[in-house]
Amino acid sequence: MSYGILSKLKLAWTELDNDQKEQLGPYLTFTDYREIWAMGIFLLGATALLPLLIVTIIHYQLIQTSVNSEFILRTERLTSNTRRVVTFFLDERLDALRFTVNEIPYNDLTASDRLSEILSNLKLGFGGLTDLSVIDHKGTQLAYAGPFKLKGKDYSRQPWFIANQKKDSYVSPIFKGYRNVPHIIIAVKSVRSDGTWFILRATLEIKKLMQTLSSYKTGRYADLFLIDRSGVLQTPSEFYGDIYQKLPLETPKYSSRTQAVMTTDAQERHIIMGYAFISAKTTDTPFVLIVVKQKDGMMGVWRRMQANIKWFVGFCILTVIIVITIACTNIVNRLYHADKAKAETMALMEQSCQLAAIGQLSAGVAHEINNPLALISQTAGYIKDLFVIKEQYRNDEELIENIDSIMEAVDRCGRITSQLLGFSRKFDIKTQNVNLKETIFDVLVFHQKEAQYRNLNLSVDVPEDIPDIETDQGKLQQILMNLVNNAFQAIDDGCSLDIHATREGSDFVNIVISDNGCGMPEENLDKIFEPFFTTKARGEGTGLGLPITYGLVKKLNGSISVKSKENEGTTFIVTLPVRIQKEKDGNENSIGG
Amino acid sequence: MKHSDLLIIDDETRYADMLARRLELRGCRCEVCYNGGDGIRIIENEMFLLVVLDLQLPDIYGTEVLARIKKIRPDIPVIILTGHGSEKDRQQCMKQGAYAFIHKPLNIEKLLAILNEIREKSA
Repeated sequence: MSYGILSKLKLAWTELDNDQKEQLGPYLTFTDYREIWAMGIFLLGATALLPLLIVTIIHYQLIQTSVNSEFILRTERLTSNTRRVVTFFLDERLDALRFTVNEIPYNDLTASDRLSEILSNLKLGFGGLTDLSVIDHKGTQLAYAGPFKLKGKDYSRQPWFIANQKKDSYVSPIFKGYRNVPHIIIAVKSVRSDGTWFILRATLEIKKLMQTLSSYKTGRYADLFLIDRSGVLQTPSEFYGDIYQKLPLETPKYSSRTQAVMTTDAQERHIIMGYAFISAKTTDTPFVLIVVKQKDGMMGVWRRMQANIKWFVGFCILTVIIVITIACTNIVNRLYHADKAKAETMALMEQSCQLAAIGQLSAGVAHEINNPLALISQTAGYIKDLFVIKEQYRNDEELIENIDSIMEAVDRCGRITSQLLGFSRKFDIKTQNVNLKETIFDVLVFHQKEAQYRNLNLSVDVPEDIPDIETDQGKLQQILMNLVNNAFQAIDDGCSLDIHATREGSDFVNIVISDNGCGMPEENLDKIFEPFFTTKARGEGTGLGLPITYGLVKKLNGSISVKSKENEGTTFIVTLPVRIQKEKDGNENSIGG
Repeated sequence: MKHSDLLIIDDETRYADMLARRLELRGCRCEVCYNGGDGIRIIENEMFLLVVLDLQLPDIYGTEVLARIKKIRPDIPVIILTGHGSEKDRQQCMKQGAYAFIHKPLNIEKLLAILNEIREKSA
């Protein structure tokens, strides 16, 4: 499986070596497969992943928003509930004082004994009361019940007294008073029938209030406390300092409703701060209830969910990228193979077009040159005849030598033109059943004498199972003749030439012609089928023998290949179809015109 | 009836003359004509051991001349000597009974060898 994936990921276009690049480059439709591949992966990846990422981000933000608003709501609810309790705490005590001044006659209230009795009743009812006192409209304490000796004390300059003059009831901030103990003063004003008024004042311990507050505290990360309107802590806070300290958070602006906001504290912690301005039924109070919840502490579930989303999205992205990379590689590989096949065909076509053009050109040249050439040859021959016959010049070797060299040169030209004509020659393919063994022997007959003379070892092996092949005998003879001629030129006296046939599947036959002659250097192997390529001495070879052979093999729908090692020998392998395909006969003019 | 060894039918006059002279130097009796029509007329009246016939003639194409010669004298050997002959021409001429099909330039010794061969056969 993993091997399968790896093999699919093989980038086929990187296998092209430089020679092939040079050869096929001009015919490839696309040049930069790497770019196509990378671009494909990028575009497909972007198309697939962008919607996923966008949806994920939107979803993520939606969830975050809803989680935040849920936190705010919860904080608001807690604040609101706590506010109700604090308000009730104060109202209850103010109501008790109001009840006392309305129900108990003034004379009883100013009597210290009676006042002490009332104090102990109230203590029983509510607890947390320290003392109780009655102050007349001038600020003089008329009666006092409690642990201190404060009777007759003048409160006329005290701020709470001044504030209470104008209102029916009063709640003080946390107050140290004369005793340096934190307490709250609550007071109610009562008007007598003579128009004067007095105040019933009680001192409350804040311990009771703190207990009430802390009973509403939920969880480790919540903090409930009171501040006054200038931001000074009225009850101790777990995270933001002790009583009387300034709260290190922004003091909220007045609002009649319970509020909750998200903010950060001085330690950069994300918090949700709920607040409510406390007011009793009959009076405002200086207190602001603050509920602080640390967001981190509430986020546990959300964090797990975030992690899940991240894992899931990461997995999706990875999967998509892997799938797209494999698919893209596969597609681009196929594209490349198709393009390469096309380029190879085009290169081959151009080669045969070149051959055709050379064929046409050479036919023209051969035709035009042949007649004057014949004339030169004849004339030179005649001049030679004349001189040889006349006594005077018969023994002039220099003259004869010069004329001979003219004739030799003409002969050479003649060979070239006749081969050019052969190269360009149109021919019909006449198919017949050909016995390979007989054909080979027919060709070798011409070479028998030379082989004997040069002491060459010829061997032919055509096994019985090689069928007669349907092909053009003349062309096949010419192919074999050319190759055998070639071999004879390549081998030294006493060497050997071996011709044997093998079957190549059911449809093809290989004819293998190998010699142990001089061989060819590897760099020449690519060029030997190109017209006019020759390694023979100047004037000895035309460079057309093998191209013609190549053309003939192609005509017979076959293929020819060559293997050679310098100084070890050369092997030509001609592969021919057992049955020549008729429909290919149409391109018979592809070589020559 | 006049009797020569060789009749050369070739429109390239200089070439034909030169060939004739060279053959004469070698002891052959030659006649030369420069078109197909003349050639056929000469054949009608004279006997030859061998006819050397070009294909590109100004009046009648060589293969046609060959056909007519064969009609008049079926036994006379005709060598086609051409500068332009195609494979198709070669096949046709051989089918029509040409003795040989040779491309120019010609090796005179080869021609003499053929002539001797014919002489030997007819002797």
